[in-house]
Amino acid sequence: MPKLELTLRVNGQNHLVELPANITLLDALRDYLYYYEVKSGCEKGNCGACTVLMDGEAVNACLVLAAQAEGHDIVTVVGLGTQEEPHPLQEAYADLGAAQCGFCIPGMIVASAALLAEKPQPSRAEIRQYLAGNLCRCTGYQKAIDAVELVSQQKPVAEPS
Amino acid sequence: MLSEFEFQSPATLDDCLELMQFQAPGVAPIAGGTNLVVDLRSGRAKPQTVINLWQLSDLAYIRRENGHLAIGGRTTVTQLLNSSLVRKTGQALTESAQKFASPLIRNRATVGGNLADASPAADLAPPLLVLDAQVQLQSKSGTRTVPLAEFFLGPRQTVRTPAELLAEIRYPVPAANTATTFLKLGQRWEDAISIVSVAASLERDGDICQSVRLALGAVAPIPRRAKQAEAVLAGQKLTDELLRRAAQVAASEDANPIDDVRGSAEYRRWMAEVLVYRALTSLIEEEA
Amino acid sequence: MLTPLKIIGKGVRRTDALIKSTGEVAYAADWEMPRMLHLKLLRSPHPSARIVKLNSQPALAIPGVVTVMTAADLPQREVQADIPGQTGTKAHRLGEAPVLAEKVVRYKGEPVAIIAAERLDIAEKALAAIEVEYEELPAVTHPLEALKRGAPIVAGTDNIIQTHRIVKGDIEAGFAQADHIIEHTYTSQHIDHAYLEPEAGVAWLDSNGVLNLRISTQVVEHFRSIAKTLGLPESKVRVMGTLVGGGFGGKEDMTVELFLALAALKTRRPVKLVFTREESVQFSTKRHPYIIKHTYGVTKDGLLTAAKVNLISDAGAYSYLSPWVLLYSTGTAVGPYRIPHVEVNAKSVATNNVVASAFRGFGSYQTAIAYEAQMDEVAKTLNMDPLELREKNYLHPGDTTAFGQVIEGEVWLPQTARTAMEALGEPAPAKPGKKIGRGLASTMTSYGRITWFHDTSEAWVGVELDGSVVIRTGVPDVGAGQVSALCQIAAEVLGVDMDNISIHATDSAVTPLAGTTTATRQLLMSGNATKLASEKVRSVLLGLAAKELDLEADDLDLQDGQVYTKEGPEHLMSLADLAKKAAAQGVPRSYLEMYRAPFSDPIDPETGQGHIWPDFTFGSTAVEVEIDEETGEIRVLKAVGCHDVGRAINMAAVEGQIEGSLAMGIGAALMEDLAGKNGHPQALSFAEYLLPTAGDLPELQAIVLESESGKGPFGAKGIGEPALNSVVPAIANAIHNAIGVRISDPPFTAEKIVRHIRQGTK
Repeated sequence: MPKLELTLRVNGQNHLVELPANITLLDALRDYLYYYEVKSGCEKGNCGACTVLMDGEAVNACLVLAAQAEGHDIVTVVGLGTQEEPHPLQEAYADLGAAQCGFCIPGMIVASAALLAEKPQPSRAEIRQYLAGNLCRCTGYQKAIDAVELVSQQKPVAEPS
Repeated sequence: MLSEFEFQSPATLDDCLELMQFQAPGVAPIAGGTNLVVDLRSGRAKPQTVINLWQLSDLAYIRRENGHLAIGGRTTVTQLLNSSLVRKTGQALTESAQKFASPLIRNRATVGGNLADASPAADLAPPLLVLDAQVQLQSKSGTRTVPLAEFFLGPRQTVRTPAELLAEIRYPVPAANTATTFLKLGQRWEDAISIVSVAASLERDGDICQSVRLALGAVAPIPRRAKQAEAVLAGQKLTDELLRRAAQVAASEDANPIDDVRGSAEYRRWMAEVLVYRALTSLIEEEA
Repeated sequence: MLTPLKIIGKGVRRTDALIKSTGEVAYAADWEMPRMLHLKLLRSPHPSARIVKLNSQPALAIPGVVTVMTAADLPQREVQADIPGQTGTKAHRLGEAPVLAEKVVRYKGEPVAIIAAERLDIAEKALAAIEVEYEELPAVTHPLEALKRGAPIVAGTDNIIQTHRIVKGDIEAGFAQADHIIEHTYTSQHIDHAYLEPEAGVAWLDSNGVLNLRISTQVVEHFRSIAKTLGLPESKVRVMGTLVGGGFGGKEDMTVELFLALAALKTRRPVKLVFTREESVQFSTKRHPYIIKHTYGVTKDGLLTAAKVNLISDAGAYSYLSPWVLLYSTGTAVGPYRIPHVEVNAKSVATNNVVASAFRGFGSYQTAIAYEAQMDEVAKTLNMDPLELREKNYLHPGDTTAFGQVIEGEVWLPQTARTAMEALGEPAPAKPGKKIGRGLASTMTSYGRITWFHDTSEAWVGVELDGSVVIRTGVPDVGAGQVSALCQIAAEVLGVDMDNISIHATDSAVTPLAGTTTATRQLLMSGNATKLASEKVRSVLLGLAAKELDLEADDLDLQDGQVYTKEGPEHLMSLADLAKKAAAQGVPRSYLEMYRAPFSDPIDPETGQGHIWPDFTFGSTAVEVEIDEETGEIRVLKAVGCHDVGRAINMAAVEGQIEGSLAMGIGAALMEDLAGKNGHPQALSFAEYLLPTAGDLPELQAIVLESESGKGPFGAKGIGEPALNSVVPAIANAIHNAIGVRISDPPFTAEKIVRHIRQGTK
């Protein structure tokens, strides 16, 4: 299979990768570019562990072909914030104990960021519906919903880039 | 890993159609990929060439023209969900979009993709069937229009040939006294594949049924109209007894379900009856 | 009034919280090494078959395929698969399981060959290229079938892997005293652990000839089994556990370890294996399905006189932890109630189904489905309120269990039950076509391992010269905050900020062995070990300070990294200065301490009498449900878990365990089922094996009670498993309350509910 040369823009940084066409964005992010914060949980769009922003919209990276992602802005949870400069959602999730094993958390925080950008003051029911594509086995989602609500009550969150 | 294929990303619709013609039959168009990527991984789909539609944003539109609501095939379910035009002219379609998979999937899944994939449980199909939708198939050789009711041939099979693209779907804006709705039953409240789905459209004059459309999903090899049940209702006075009879007929004569991991055929028939009755009564109550 | 403590009990930010939020944790699959190979497993497509042909040559011919290993290539064909990480017990007679199937396969998905290739896609091509032929054999896929004469033999001579028994009092006399005898049969389904992180690991040989494995695991002590299976000295195998992306018992047995070890040794290159979700759902170990015939005898005043329980579990193709799961079931079969006459008979039966092994609750989960349904059935017969009936029969402190163990500490069952029910508040308003129901369940669940395993845990705590604290512990952290809790304990004892504590964990070569993260044991075991070590350090250092300052050590305290007099308080010196003085004088600043759980002998095999566990956690779940009478759809409107945890170390973490348990129980009650058909799971992935989404759950309420009567640090008990056991039966009871129908086979799907309503099953 011939290789494609793609430029993928991730967290504001351009990367040149050479890969076959049948690589998903998830596999490109992890195996070619080492964005290990994007998790692989099911590879078929059922679990949301691989959630990234693509042009500001939350999507399953496992269902996007890497080749389709060229020319679009990809943001992972690390693009939202880091230990040195955490995003308010990352702080709230940490403060409220919203993460247990943590495996679903990067995807859930990305989805939460997309939610708040679209709907800055969601009801708890709306938060639940918006996070319905992000499965969690440890927490029952309770403290994640608390964290999103808490952040929504703080000053406006900046648009994810 | 996904099966191996060549990837093309045409800049325009014309380029796309040219490529599809050239690469047919071993060609698969990909928009949101929410079905195709799964099939590429499972080996169910093994095209030689995959053609990207995502960048053809000209094909993502919702507009009112000539008394019709025209939806470009590349329109995502999220766009459908957020459209006030759709809500005003085709409530059933909005309701279906609200319950469609998960928000993550909705951001990528397209109207064209959902219909062309032709799962018997495709949630956008029943609403579009009761809205008398027509599908526009485009290829390098030309354009043809097919009523959605004639589009599905069997599970995952449609009249679309490999060189054709589902470019648009459109439905006539219903008359003012028409109401539509969509109901679905799944194994959980969110992100569920339909066990049974029902769409209904009802145009009334007082309590007389002027025109009715019923469509069932996930209870037959294809999403399709419940014609026997419609015949019970057409032109009749809409008594509760009549609605119940129509629902019974829908379940016993229009539905033809199978047993699968989500539910038995028998349960599906029972639920088809329940959902048809509920859909009809909600439309009558809504307009009242 | 709770004993006042400084940091214990606060919902402080866990040590792993921010790194999880910022995605910086490297889980087991987040690892790559130079020259690393990718592994795939060839698995049997049949539940029962003879391997007629197995030819790896076509796979080896593919460029990039480095090796293919089958049973014929292994130094040792079988592994002792029972009792991970334990020293105090004998191997089970049927405890060996094949590493790779040799002549026959006994369950669908059983590994047959290991492929190592330069790239994952090449390994997948190699899988397809291996020439393998099977001759299908008759399969037995139900334990009752497996017990019949003439059934295909899967294990031993008669498919019976283990039996257990309890005899207390005189069962016939007990039933004779009863005014009512209530008997029903209950079943439970195969459940998948469904952790979001699939099984994964990387292994390599280092320059010291030590085999290193970096694994998502609940047990680092597997290095011993790995060494034995590979013919290596135990000192030459090192297991480094990563932060685990969910365990629940599914990563208690070895998952990827042996395949990695074998391939790393053969190829002398780093190797990586990650299960697909399909492999994990269909073929990894599961919760045991049970068939439970449960009989209670009760007087007309509502006092239980007798309990007779017959338990059968479906162990699947190999024994693994089935004998021990069965023991937990046997010990918990009659529920947390005073019953003078008891007979329990339990069997674990082999079938050609997927292997069943450890899963949160470990056999005490399934028995609760039966006994708590039974209590509501008894209440119905007597026309008595279910809570009132339970309160008449709950065990009290000082009572003896069915197996003869005295209950020490508080038994706050009535408090948890009443609090949980009250927390449901006003009943939801009735709606046309919908029925509302409420259900309660109470359980008694052990924490700490079986006492005849002679469980121990070690922890090392030390103070650096700058006053910061280091903890070294072998504890695997599966997400409940096992590691952070130890920091909180050291912080409490040594008066140091959490920010000033570093913990090095989960490395069998470098950190003191702490035992398995299973059986709700780590807070008891490692919490106590850490507390002991911290207290020893504190005692020695304060003794030095006292000597230096000519004061009494009892008058001194440590707070905020400083030494103070308790009276005053007067600041004396920093902990850093004290540590420096200790170093200069050759006084130890660190200690390694071992905590030993209570040890006992095994129970009597005939009567089941003896001591089984260190202690128990008591708790209750209350739920309110709304059922659509026509569709059977069920919505959980309210869910409350109330448990006496002894003492909460991190309150948010304890709430998290209760909330997570409510969610897991709702999933198991309403929508989870592997749905095996003749040995073939119908649930293949998360598209068919459904977990509750955020939109499927109500607000989950955790109410934490603290009796301070546990054996863990500061009077703590354990909560990880106890919080789960009462959820499914509470939902079953709520359904019964709503529609008057007793459904005894979870999952309680909408279709089942409708069928029962239509049949009028009472």
